[in-house]
Amino acid sequence: MEFGVTKIASLKANGVSIDIPVLVQPGQAPDTVGIAIGYGREKVGKAGNNVGVNAYPLLSVAKGIVNYSVTSNVDVKSSEIEYKLAMTQTHQTIMGRDIVQESNLKEYKKNPAAGRHFPTVATADGAVGATTLSMWEMRERNNHSWGMVIDLNSCIGCGACVISCQAENNIPVVGKDEISRSRDMYWIRIDRYYTSDMSHEVAEKENVNLVDMYHQMEDPSENPQVVFQPMMCQHCNNAPCETVCPVVATTHSSEGLNQMTYNRCIGTKYCANNCPYKVRRFNWFRYTENEAFDFHMNSDLGKMVLNPDVTVRARGVMEKCSMCVQRIQEGKLNAKKNNRRPIDGEIVTACAQACPTDAIVFGDMNNGESEIFKLLEREHKKRMYYVLEELNVRPSVSYLSKIRNTEA
Amino acid sequence: MQVTSPVRAPLVTSGKKLHDVTNDICKQVEGKPTKLWIVAFTISVLLLLYGCFCLYKTWTVGLGVWGLNRTIGWAWDITNFVWWVGIGHAGTLISAVLLLFRQKWRTSINRAAEAMTIFAVFCAGSFILMHVGRTWLAHWCLPLPNTYGSLWVNFNSPLIWDVFAISTYLSVSILFWYVGMIPDLATIRERATGISRTVYGALSFNWSGGAKDWQRYEQVSLILAGVSTPLVLSVHTIVSMDFATSVIPGWHTTIFPPYFVAGAIFSGFAMVLTLMLVTRKVFKLEDYVTVNHIESMNKIITLTGSIVGVAYITEFFIAWYSGVEYESYCFINRATGPYWWAYASMMTCNVISPQLFWFRKIRRNIAATFVISIIVNIGMWFERFVIIVSSLHRDYLPSSWTMFYPTMYDIGDYIFSFGLFFTCFFLFAKYLPVINMAEVKSILKSSSVNNNKS
Amino acid sequence: MSVQGKFLVGIFDDEDVLLHSVEHIRHEGVKIHEVFTPFPVHGLDRALGYERSRIDIVAFMFGTLGMILGITMIYSMMGIDWPMNIGGKPNAAIPIFIPVTFECTVLFTAYGMTLTFFVIAKLLPGLTPVMFDPRSTDDKFIVAIQLDRNHLALDKINQILKDNGASEVFEKEV
Repeated sequence: MEFGVTKIASLKANGVSIDIPVLVQPGQAPDTVGIAIGYGREKVGKAGNNVGVNAYPLLSVAKGIVNYSVTSNVDVKSSEIEYKLAMTQTHQTIMGRDIVQESNLKEYKKNPAAGRHFPTVATADGAVGATTLSMWEMRERNNHSWGMVIDLNSCIGCGACVISCQAENNIPVVGKDEISRSRDMYWIRIDRYYTSDMSHEVAEKENVNLVDMYHQMEDPSENPQVVFQPMMCQHCNNAPCETVCPVVATTHSSEGLNQMTYNRCIGTKYCANNCPYKVRRFNWFRYTENEAFDFHMNSDLGKMVLNPDVTVRARGVMEKCSMCVQRIQEGKLNAKKNNRRPIDGEIVTACAQACPTDAIVFGDMNNGESEIFKLLEREHKKRMYYVLEELNVRPSVSYLSKIRNTEA
Repeated sequence: MQVTSPVRAPLVTSGKKLHDVTNDICKQVEGKPTKLWIVAFTISVLLLLYGCFCLYKTWTVGLGVWGLNRTIGWAWDITNFVWWVGIGHAGTLISAVLLLFRQKWRTSINRAAEAMTIFAVFCAGSFILMHVGRTWLAHWCLPLPNTYGSLWVNFNSPLIWDVFAISTYLSVSILFWYVGMIPDLATIRERATGISRTVYGALSFNWSGGAKDWQRYEQVSLILAGVSTPLVLSVHTIVSMDFATSVIPGWHTTIFPPYFVAGAIFSGFAMVLTLMLVTRKVFKLEDYVTVNHIESMNKIITLTGSIVGVAYITEFFIAWYSGVEYESYCFINRATGPYWWAYASMMTCNVISPQLFWFRKIRRNIAATFVISIIVNIGMWFERFVIIVSSLHRDYLPSSWTMFYPTMYDIGDYIFSFGLFFTCFFLFAKYLPVINMAEVKSILKSSSVNNNKS
Repeated sequence: MSVQGKFLVGIFDDEDVLLHSVEHIRHEGVKIHEVFTPFPVHGLDRALGYERSRIDIVAFMFGTLGMILGITMIYSMMGIDWPMNIGGKPNAAIPIFIPVTFECTVLFTAYGMTLTFFVIAKLLPGLTPVMFDPRSTDDKFIVAIQLDRNHLALDKINQILKDNGASEVFEKEV
């Protein structure tokens, strides 16, 4: 299976045969097949009719109990028919990069900065921290400084943040076809990486050449470990996207947010190309009131789901995570009306609000009382790191390295 | 007194006299369109119309009709833009740089080359307008006073530098081409009657050929050549900075400005050859665009092709030597990843083919030159495709890695540009003199066969 | 200054002959109105005693104007009128000036100089030129001598032209 293209297999069990596409899942026990039941319905409405294949006929009932596993006489035969699975992520491994930094409990107990990489740059004075260098003076942040900390340890990859963001920010539903063309519109995504048997250390030990090393790094292990990394706009203080927009459609606010001005954007897509985190999304079509996208934005009833505080974007315009600026502005205004500063916890982004494990912490980094301030202070030079720190884009979103509860 | 050289090969053959020059070139303008021209023109108009349909769909339905996605924001659109702009640079090089270097052999090819430049820049400009999500607001790239503040443009952005560079380049190229054409338009005017005379009379701006006018004209040409030379270097440098100033591995490299400029001249000369080899045959201008001219152009192709080849090797070396993980992966992926076939095409077409011109027999052979010129242009298209798509499709975060596949509208919009280019070029070839008569006449005495015979 | 009056026109076939003839003709005291050639003949302007053109100074001035306008435009827009935080960069840093200023300089140089050239040479669409002989744009070199500006007799001038290699000489009223 490559780039999301797989084959249809013919599966026979309990005398019933179905044709179903196959997703090769790293970590699936060998000689086993898992099928989700509940698909292939015919009388449920637009969302569920004729989506997927009905696997219920494969099950058997014995003594009044449904047997959900079939352990014998299962026959799976692959056909030559190709099928494109709609996957938002078609590459599964991390290719030996330090985007996700992790360690295990044993090492962490010895050293709170276990598993951390501190990128340095060579200068005339020796190797210095990558973010200590600057060609210009950074601007002051006198008032608020909004930021986020994402704990890779707590994230379970449930996806609640993705859905809450979509609901809060009127993110269009684009349909299976567009997803299979890698045109999802999610402002926050959860990158899920499997470990691979090959790494830089293994390649050095076993004398594997660079080309082979990278090719082997693309394959996940038979029994991989997994990490979930929520990724949204990092609100970089030295944003590469802002510099390259010809019409000043994206700028930086005095409170640290990367602003996106939808009505100014003419859609050159240079900002999306220049984003190293690839968090920007482009409106390829008109997703509202368009028969080709007959989802919630194509009916009066469906439109009642939309959030009136957030602009619905037009065709040809770029969009991305705004750190729920509508909520920030509302919170600041409420506080102002009550003659006080916003209290920490009053303003929360949709993703942070929905996260069941509090993996996402949002707040004002300039507020000494805030949870995020205390978290950053506690984990500075320990678990706290920025993704792609060496690029010196100075993100406002930081991550806490994952510590696996193992001894090795 | 003209300096004559008994050792240089003649640039105008078959004993042409001044009047022959006038006749040979004017009769193409004055005659009725030939059947061959009508067929060729019709084909290009059909391509243009098909392209217009694809363009209409792109503009009304959305950029989603292309194969672009969240990871790869630019593919065929910007590849085609850079390809056409690069091709255009050879025209200015021939007119301007070769004038400054006093290369007389430029005189019979500079008019057609400059026309090619202008039409190529039209095509490049069409891709700029096309690739923008909201084309009807593209004028916001210009720093015009407005009612939004006034909200100006972002001069940090290489795209704004592009706006200024490409528009200056187009305007100055048109100016240079037109000023050079005024004396020839006067020649046609004097031979024409009726409506033709009125039209060419208006176009020729009252030119009579007086010595004072020629004195100023020569100064103007020299200064235009003098500003066009840094202009052509700056324009493609600025185009290369669309990539070089970004952070993406494979794009963020300081070698791009000289590499792109050399590549532009490389592909531009190849396109000039493709066009002139056909034009000289059809218009029977073999005595003006001789094998010596073709050989000189091939030598430039070898030179610039070698520079491009060295740049490729340097890029590869630096990707390894820099020790930057992302950069080394980018190049290994280019050569061995899913787009390896594009990289292989680029290497064979651009590095190997120009080296064939070291052999005298090949560089003086018309058919071989024609074939190689097309191969070079294909190779240069792949170079831009490789740079743009292979760098974008696998950059920093592997979770975003995906593939790009072109759709019929990517291809259709490219066909539009061919239709536009050839329609313009055939109109130019029919209604305007394809060779700069005045300049050829000025070298006739010193560089023709007549002279060498005596 | 419109061209009017009686002219004596001499036709030459070769540019080297022309150049030498012009020198001799002027040496004899004949005032030449203008010489028309199908292509620029090097040394002709010197032989006719023309001052060098100062269009290059015009070009330089326009170029300087373009450069000043470019720099002023960027600085006033990015530094004064509406400075913004774009990528954390300073409002109007020196590197961003370079490409656009250069383009403005070139644009002003090219157009300023060329339009000045058109105006001073009276090369404008719509005017009809005074053509002494249509072959001046084809293959002949034409010397036009205005008779009422010359005190020498018509026959004398005629003879001088013929002696210096003119293939034809005729009178023309403009």
